[in-house]
Amino acid sequence: MKIVVAYKWAPNPQDASVGADGVVDWSRAKSGISEYDPVAIELARRLADATGGEVIGLTAGPKSVDASMARKAALSRGFDRAVIVADDALEGAGTTELAAVLAAAVRHIGEVNLVITGDSSVDVGARMVPVVLAGQLGWPAVGEVTAVSVQAGLLRVERDIAGGTQVLEISGPAVLAASTNAAVPRIPGMRDILAAGKKPVETLEVTALDVPAGGTTVSVTHTSRPDLKARKQQMIDTADPAAAAAELVDALRSAGVL
Amino acid sequence: MSTWIVVAGDPAIGNLVETARALGGQVTAAVVGPRAVADTIAAGGVDRVVWLGDPGQAPVEAYASAVADAVGAAGGAVLGASRPGDRVLLGAVAARLQAAVLTEASSVSAEGDGLVVTRTICGGIAEETVMVAGPVALVLDGGPVPAASGAAPVEEVTASPLGITVVETNASSFEQVDLSAAARVVGIGRGLKAQGDLAMIEALAEASKAELGCSRPVAEGLNWLGKDRYIGVSGQHIAPDLYFAVGISGQLQHMVGVRGAKTIVAINSDPNALVFKEADYGLVGDLYQIVPALTEALK
Repeated sequence: MKIVVAYKWAPNPQDASVGADGVVDWSRAKSGISEYDPVAIELARRLADATGGEVIGLTAGPKSVDASMARKAALSRGFDRAVIVADDALEGAGTTELAAVLAAAVRHIGEVNLVITGDSSVDVGARMVPVVLAGQLGWPAVGEVTAVSVQAGLLRVERDIAGGTQVLEISGPAVLAASTNAAVPRIPGMRDILAAGKKPVETLEVTALDVPAGGTTVSVTHTSRPDLKARKQQMIDTADPAAAAAELVDALRSAGVL
Repeated sequence: MSTWIVVAGDPAIGNLVETARALGGQVTAAVVGPRAVADTIAAGGVDRVVWLGDPGQAPVEAYASAVADAVGAAGGAVLGASRPGDRVLLGAVAARLQAAVLTEASSVSAEGDGLVVTRTICGGIAEETVMVAGPVALVLDGGPVPAASGAAPVEEVTASPLGITVVETNASSFEQVDLSAAARVVGIGRGLKAQGDLAMIEALAEASKAELGCSRPVAEGLNWLGKDRYIGVSGQHIAPDLYFAVGISGQLQHMVGVRGAKTIVAINSDPNALVFKEADYGLVGDLYQIVPALTEALK
């Protein structure tokens, strides 16, 4: 079984700063394997080990996604090999463009049975790349996946739904987005990091792939900081918890919220 | 301009209908789900419904390609609610049209042949306004079920589903809750040391007539509460009159979910916790002392 994990090398918005003009400054935010992607890698690794398959890491982005540190961070987490589409033309690429490039890379890899992704990327968090990727491939997409196995030639997928869980059977290839708590990812040790340097990596530019042209232009006309409510930031002394509680209840009552 | 709305079995699309109507032109809904859902939407203010049939044993996701076929090459905007099934249908349409995907939009308007969209980006740290020319897929808050206001024709099309079936559905052991409707919410975070201590937090919620919510790890890592109680960037976004953030550090991923609250009270042992910057009232101290005292004071 050939399993691709589409992962992202991205910074955390928690470490970015936003200017008064709403422009996001990422210069102090270090990139890493996107927060939830290790869960997807772990699910894929366990499935491959159970079925005698192969796990291929796939990412697309500007050249920085192919830096030595980025490669090792990815390959030390359980991939057998990686395909990296590293092209500065992808700087600031939107969801659809990124998904189209990933889909083209999946076709380039060939005979892929399953694509697994994380729940959402840490920097954009739209949860749309997996579903657009599935659309590009014409495969079914399933999110919130908590477990996956192969039984009688079918993919058996468990997922969370509103108010419960569901078991699905899928007959062909599919794109699955792992729930954030689907598995506890292994932490790479020194041996994994050393081995990562020896794993095969295929680096591609976008032009090497058959990517359909996008027909939409999106131009930013204005940026701003979110209009946050002004908060009172009134601190209540808690030396005496009972007195603090009484003071808070009084304050909430006079503010009309109790 | 012609606007499409994709619907994955849940007729709560009032906000989408309103947005589509404001763009002008014809509004068509592509509906996967029981006939009753198609009828509710046909009565809810659209011009036309394309019904792809009752999925039966297939999940709505099985109809993603069929929905993309139905929408076809119809330019303009395609709208979908921010729910898992709806996102899958919208993703397939976006792929077919090579349409730009924009999420978290707070306002959408037509300008010339294009659209002007204002939205939150990067997990809520900034907002941008963009001009869009060409096909676009918009993910919006679904809003309520639209009120009956007309009777659009329902056109049934035969759709062939992708090879995916539901073999088992199990109800969650957690009681379901709709936090978005709660006037008061007590949110609990990693400051709570043990699952058994939830009783103390539930007592506070009861005394303050609040629903219980939590940060992500409490629902998704520790599994102490149901997922529908998780408040944050990928969970519930709430706007109650009063929010108690108890043992919550105030990471961005959580706070974007509660910024609509009228009043925020923060209780945390760390005086430098980020949560105090976004609170109206801050209490620095041990929640195990403050929460029972507060519960008592509220009685």
